Amino acid sequence: MGSLLRRLLFLFRRDRLDRDLEEELRFHEEMTAQSLADDMGGDEARAAARRRLGHSLQLRERAREPWTFVTVETLVQDVRHALRLMRRDPAFTLTALATLALGIGLSTAIFSVAYGVLWRPLPYPHPDRLVILSAAQQAEKGVKTIWTWAPVSYEALAQRLGAFDHLAAYVSIEAQLTGRGEPLQVPAVEVSPNFFTTLGVGPVRGRSFLTAAGAAEDDRAAIVSDRLWRSALKADPAIVGQSITINGVPRTVVGVLPPRFSFRPVIRAGTLPEADVFLPSRSPGDQGRSAFLYLLGRLKPAVTKERAEAELTALVNDPSVVAPGALAPEGVLAPNVRTIARTAGLQEYGAGPVRTLLLVVLGAVAFVLLIACVNVANLQMARLTARRGELSVRMALGAGRRRVVRQLLTETIVLSLAGAAFGVLLARIAIDLTLPLVPQAVLPRLGRIEIDGGVLAFSVALTLVSGLLIGLVPALRVSRTALADGRALHAGEARTTGDGPGERLRTLLVVGQVAMTLVLLIGAGLLMHSFVRLTSVSPGFEASGRDGVVSTVRVMLPETFFDGPERIHAFARGVLDRIRYLPGVKSASLVNSPPFGRMFIQGEFSIEGQPKPDFDAGRPKIAAGYFRTMGIPLLAGREFTEADTADASKVAIVSERIVRECFPGGPGEALGRRVRLDGLNDASEWMTVVGVVADIRHMGLDRDVQPMIYVPFQQDRSDFVRLVSFVARTTTPATVVEGIRTEIRRAAPDLAITAAVTMDEAVAASVAPPRFRMLVLGLFALAATLIATCGIYGLMAYAVTQRRREIGVRVALGAERRDVLRLVLGRALRVVAAGVVLGLAGAVAVTRVLRTFLFGVTPTDPLAFTVVTAVLMAVGLIAAWMPARRATRIDPVEALRAE
Amino acid sequence: MNETKGKNELLPGTLEMLILKTLSIQPMHGYGIAQHIRTISRSVLTVEEGSLYPALQRMLVKGWVSAEWKVSANNRRARFYTLTPAGRKQLGVEESRFSQVFGAIMRVMKTT
Repeated sequence: MGSLLRRLLFLFRRDRLDRDLEEELRFHEEMTAQSLADDMGGDEARAAARRRLGHSLQLRERAREPWTFVTVETLVQDVRHALRLMRRDPAFTLTALATLALGIGLSTAIFSVAYGVLWRPLPYPHPDRLVILSAAQQAEKGVKTIWTWAPVSYEALAQRLGAFDHLAAYVSIEAQLTGRGEPLQVPAVEVSPNFFTTLGVGPVRGRSFLTAAGAAEDDRAAIVSDRLWRSALKADPAIVGQSITINGVPRTVVGVLPPRFSFRPVIRAGTLPEADVFLPSRSPGDQGRSAFLYLLGRLKPAVTKERAEAELTALVNDPSVVAPGALAPEGVLAPNVRTIARTAGLQEYGAGPVRTLLLVVLGAVAFVLLIACVNVANLQMARLTARRGELSVRMALGAGRRRVVRQLLTETIVLSLAGAAFGVLLARIAIDLTLPLVPQAVLPRLGRIEIDGGVLAFSVALTLVSGLLIGLVPALRVSRTALADGRALHAGEARTTGDGPGERLRTLLVVGQVAMTLVLLIGAGLLMHSFVRLTSVSPGFEASGRDGVVSTVRVMLPETFFDGPERIHAFARGVLDRIRYLPGVKSASLVNSPPFGRMFIQGEFSIEGQPKPDFDAGRPKIAAGYFRTMGIPLLAGREFTEADTADASKVAIVSERIVRECFPGGPGEALGRRVRLDGLNDASEWMTVVGVVADIRHMGLDRDVQPMIYVPFQQDRSDFVRLVSFVARTTTPATVVEGIRTEIRRAAPDLAITAAVTMDEAVAASVAPPRFRMLVLGLFALAATLIATCGIYGLMAYAVTQRRREIGVRVALGAERRDVLRLVLGRALRVVAAGVVLGLAGAVAVTRVLRTFLFGVTPTDPLAFTVVTAVLMAVGLIAAWMPARRATRIDPVEALRAE
Repeated sequence: MNETKGKNELLPGTLEMLILKTLSIQPMHGYGIAQHIRTISRSVLTVEEGSLYPALQRMLVKGWVSAEWKVSANNRRARFYTLTPAGRKQLGVEESRFSQVFGAIMRVMKTT
């Protein structure tokens, strides 16, 4: 464009143009003077001409405007002006900066977490094509979804998939690395050979697993992460080809993954920590009906999920492809019901459990930011009112309203940018400090969580929007009144006083602020009430009491050390005998799957002489003294004893729930009857019921009590006894746990100890997600309340200053201190009450999103609503108290004289 | 901001047309342009400096006029503006648009 070129040229010839313009205008002035001189005297004419030419400075500016990139030039000017003003008013600047830094910092931190978990592309090529396969059936109580597949189903599907480029399988396992320093528990996954091909990322050293014909060769291979290679394997450059021992089995390292590689196994309840060891799947040839493999598919380009699902659905309903009856942790697919195959994006699936939470938190933080913006806007408004004189003069001198608004907006945007700089810094620190403390169970993360370009762009956008929000309303409002003042000034009239509309607007803003704060507070209140409800539920066992606390130490016994049930039984018996005599141990026992321990094995069972029950029962394997140690009341019969050995007659203890469902005559009726475990690989013979115990909650406080059939550890020969948790009730948990470790090490030196926790800790961990939700929302509500308190205080303090005269008159006319207090507090109360009404309406509409997080509390819980409302009203009154006190001290004489 | 008021308030966009028309007679300096418009309009239209010079600058940027320093009739150095071919074309455009608008206004005013 020619004009653009000319304007660019101007940038270099600016001086000349200025000079030209200057001379031209002088010429014009003289010519005008000459022509006027014909009518009047010389001097008079010159003065008149100059007057005519008027604001010559402004004229020059405006004449130059077409040439310049006006916005850039005035922007620089405005920014300088803004910085100057910020320096001149440090109190305002600091308050505004702190508020904005808090608001923008919180938003940035939360957004970076949400972005990392929900949206950041996974570190694989075309991550959008990676999907997890599931099967769903319409059941009585909604849709039943099964996420894991039997190895036979995987093999059959992998042979016939048209919609997928690759279909891989994985299962996360517990693994111990031994022989390289201390035994080490490492996150591991067993994967199908094509796993890395499916992800699209493979080892940088060595090779991937061999597929097809070579697969058998890789039976004892392992691929390790860069992290493990650098730490436990000491970054040995010749590691490929060397042997490492995993779960007692020597394996050859065939590959090392690249440094930025990351795979967090996605499982039903979220994600597990990043895997460090990848082993080839043992599943080929497994004809079992246990469904434990997660299937990860890579869709062919241009194949939609819908097409893939249609194709899969046809396959899963074919009994020759997916054999019916495969048992997954979620249950069994019914044989005669149509099964629908589903595909869920890897990220979508992994983030599923926290998606709602993160969106809620994002919403909450947006509220906090808005509330913060309102505060700064109000401050700005008050400040602009004070600066009205300056603005009027500028407008009287010819500054356009638009120009003034633009300058005021620049001020607030500069302010919010500065706030954002601090905010981002704050966010960095907050993320670095808090994120490592948040467990994977609470916040599954697939991608990295960090403040990168994308997050920064979001912050900048947020900042500009905040700047506009803060600046626009006050600027428009004040520039209008200033314009009127300016005109008045021009006409030589006195400046008008009073500030009605501005104050009304400020009041409205604070009302909005109170409303938003109330919504946040009610959200936090609901979660808090729900949390109290949840934690007051009894788990059914006594995690801690007068006799001390229950500590557990868990180990897993690999096949290599313990090749049969006899060795396992002997090991368990030996260690337990010694633990019982450790100093400080009140009682001790063991169990294969302790409550609140992540694992729950349940299955079908039968009762002799009765139709088969239509529900499943848990089947923990326990040693003598278990109920005494755990503090589970025995309701009838006896506990297991040392006499219930492998050779003795088979016995079982059932829980109250089973009695309730199956023995209408009560516990007495159950004693002496015979029960049998069916289905799984721990199917048993008939066992005589010798005792009835109280119910416990096994999976979580928010779950129903589980029907249980307890079996003596020594009488169970299944693989399920490879998991052993020693439990001990003690008043000195630390030394006892150390003692148990020592005993285990003495019996099996190469065994890694998986976990040592007290039952209190286990229960606490199970309520970690709701506690986390409560804390996060509570924190935001607190921040919002603090900011809103400042808002109310600011409004009232300002109002008192503005109404000094009015109050002075009232006092002069005999108003008591009490009346003045009532005047100010009454006004504050009206503002807060208006906000509360608005907020209550908003909360009723909004708290529904919390429904899935609430336990025993409805989204419109009256207790939370009333308590929170009362608290906020009180806070509002306290905020208004100081300005009210100041109002009572106004001296009428002085107040009246000041005007 | 309030450069044109009262009796001599021009319709938006007409100032540039008037300048273009004036320059189509002969190259002129700014003062001359203002005088010319005033004289021809019998003092009905007064072009203020505050509008005239910014408009001239705008037109320079758009390439409708060019400017050079010459000596004026009274032997003073003055900046003379000349219509460029692009400016001449623009004058045609503005004239036809104006007559359209003017005609339309007149039709409205004559309807009783």
